[in-house]
Amino acid sequence: MRELPNKKLAQKTLSVWKIVASIESVFLLLIPIAYYIGMRYIALPTWILYLILTAAIIYSLIKIIIIPKLKWQKWRYEIFENEVELMYGVFVVRRVIIPMIRVQHVDTKHGPLLRHYKLSSVTISTAATIHEIPGLEENKAGELRDYIAKLAREADQDD
Amino acid sequence: MIKWKKQHSAAIFISFLNNLKEMIISIIAVFIFGQSSQAGGSLFYTIFFALILVFSLGSGIIRWATFEYQLLDNELQIKQGLIFKKHRYIRKERIQSIDINAKLIQRLFQLVEIRIETAGGGTEPEFRIIALKRREAELIKEELLVRKSNLNNGDQDHSEVINEESLLEENKKQFYTWNLSFKRLLISAITSSGLGLAITFVAAVISQLPQLLPNTIYERVLGLFIHSSILLISFFVVLILFIGWLITLISSLLKYGQFHIKKDKDDIHISRGILEKRQLTLSAKRITAVRVVQNLLRQPLGYAAVYVESAGGGRKEEDLSTILIPICKKSEVNSILNNLLPQFSIKENEYKSLPKESVRRYMIKASIPFIFLAILMTYFIPYGWISFILPLGAAGIGFWQYIDAGIGNNDEMLLIKSRMISLTEVIVPRKRIQAMTTSQTILQKVDHLYTVQVSIISSIVGKTFSLRHISKNQIENLFLWYSYECRKHR
Repeated sequence: MRELPNKKLAQKTLSVWKIVASIESVFLLLIPIAYYIGMRYIALPTWILYLILTAAIIYSLIKIIIIPKLKWQKWRYEIFENEVELMYGVFVVRRVIIPMIRVQHVDTKHGPLLRHYKLSSVTISTAATIHEIPGLEENKAGELRDYIAKLAREADQDD
Repeated sequence: MIKWKKQHSAAIFISFLNNLKEMIISIIAVFIFGQSSQAGGSLFYTIFFALILVFSLGSGIIRWATFEYQLLDNELQIKQGLIFKKHRYIRKERIQSIDINAKLIQRLFQLVEIRIETAGGGTEPEFRIIALKRREAELIKEELLVRKSNLNNGDQDHSEVINEESLLEENKKQFYTWNLSFKRLLISAITSSGLGLAITFVAAVISQLPQLLPNTIYERVLGLFIHSSILLISFFVVLILFIGWLITLISSLLKYGQFHIKKDKDDIHISRGILEKRQLTLSAKRITAVRVVQNLLRQPLGYAAVYVESAGGGRKEEDLSTILIPICKKSEVNSILNNLLPQFSIKENEYKSLPKESVRRYMIKASIPFIFLAILMTYFIPYGWISFILPLGAAGIGFWQYIDAGIGNNDEMLLIKSRMISLTEVIVPRKRIQAMTTSQTILQKVDHLYTVQVSIISSIVGKTFSLRHISKNQIENLFLWYSYECRKHR
């Protein structure tokens, strides 16, 4: 079997993912809150409130603590001379091959969270698809972008 | 010959009717579905539509009055717009294809529409003049297109010297025509699978019928329904099916009548349609995949339809891919492709079937929604348990899907064969695949199965073909086949 790609994401990406998951979980808590408010106007059973609340808390905990960790552990990438390979996913493991000849452009970008941790994500676009390496140290991401762009330029066009 | 010209004045009427045609669906929809709401709106609707009609007539007049074009040596210039004036210069080198269409409305005035498509997929990749005399349109086409191909030939000369022998061979294939015989057209119309759409439409109309009919009739019919046997209900079902089938039959006869393909070097010209004449130019170089589709009715008769995906081209109404051959014998597909698109003709069937571990996945996946449906029906409807034959049938289809699924490749082409209901074979050149993704769910991991996805360009956006549950061995082969890294090191 083809060897697995060997590069990992920056360690700090994990923290970013955890923060994002926490923010999303806050919205999840709105459901039991809405139910609680509803209880004051309509007669609704109380036990459902506890059920929803527990479910929301358990789900949030899994989402904040376990999933990002697994996701980070699974995320791999490798840049070869002729192609980029990505591998990621917790429940569905995907492996993507993007030939250098097909790469149309490479971007780096970072939102406020990534910027705070001095991270960047690298986006690789082909004519039909867009792929992202979600968290690398800022300078490394920049180097990677330039490196991929250079390889893509040099790749044989006649193949 | 520098002179600004206007379109034929029928353009006003044509654009007016075009607007009307676009609206007619919404008008019908409002009439069918709107009536069940409050009745007080009928006056409002009348005024509303009258306003729209006046407005679209006015805009047609303005558009005609402000639209001017002139044909120069190397470009077509266009002026349009009343408030926002727009000048467009379409340079010859940028033109990709010029199609001359005669839609029903144009044919009333014996005019044609010319559509010019340019490279560089901006927001307005195509450009239309809707009312021209045929002679005028031919003139424009000749002026802009013919000389362009001469230019191209000059460029290619030195590169073609190298393989002169193959050039001779190529020359034979440069011109090729293919027609759809009337018998085939009829078969194609009868076996067309647009059936579902037509049935939905008929069913929607019939279900709204009660609102249009007087109450007494409605009640009587409903009473009949309630008292009557399954026989009557099934009669209605058959009636709906039959009307739906008739509609698809006629519409596809009109759509694919006088179907004609002409290949001229790298350009494939397709013209079709009885009432609305449509013309389409495809560049063979830009075709990214070929699909051979056999639906349930066609497969037993040995017929298939061939579609192409192409970068650029492929209109909305074609579902983003273009029909290349509406119908032909499955056994002829290869020889026709060999003439039209030689690179896509495959020598022999090189499909390898899926591992036996995947058979139950296909069967379970197909039957699960029907199991839920059957449970619901058993619960709510008397004799609902009979519906448990549905998941059984679905499992059968799943088994069939497994049997028919296959994957293969030769040096340049990836072949994927799969079935949802219709049997589809996809031929994708390796160099057209933008990226390859393999994936494995937790469930698939148990049996070492994988799913493969390849993405290609189709029209403006991408399109993805995939095959589920292929073996580890097959996925390794695919990696070896596709990977540019592995190839270099071999």
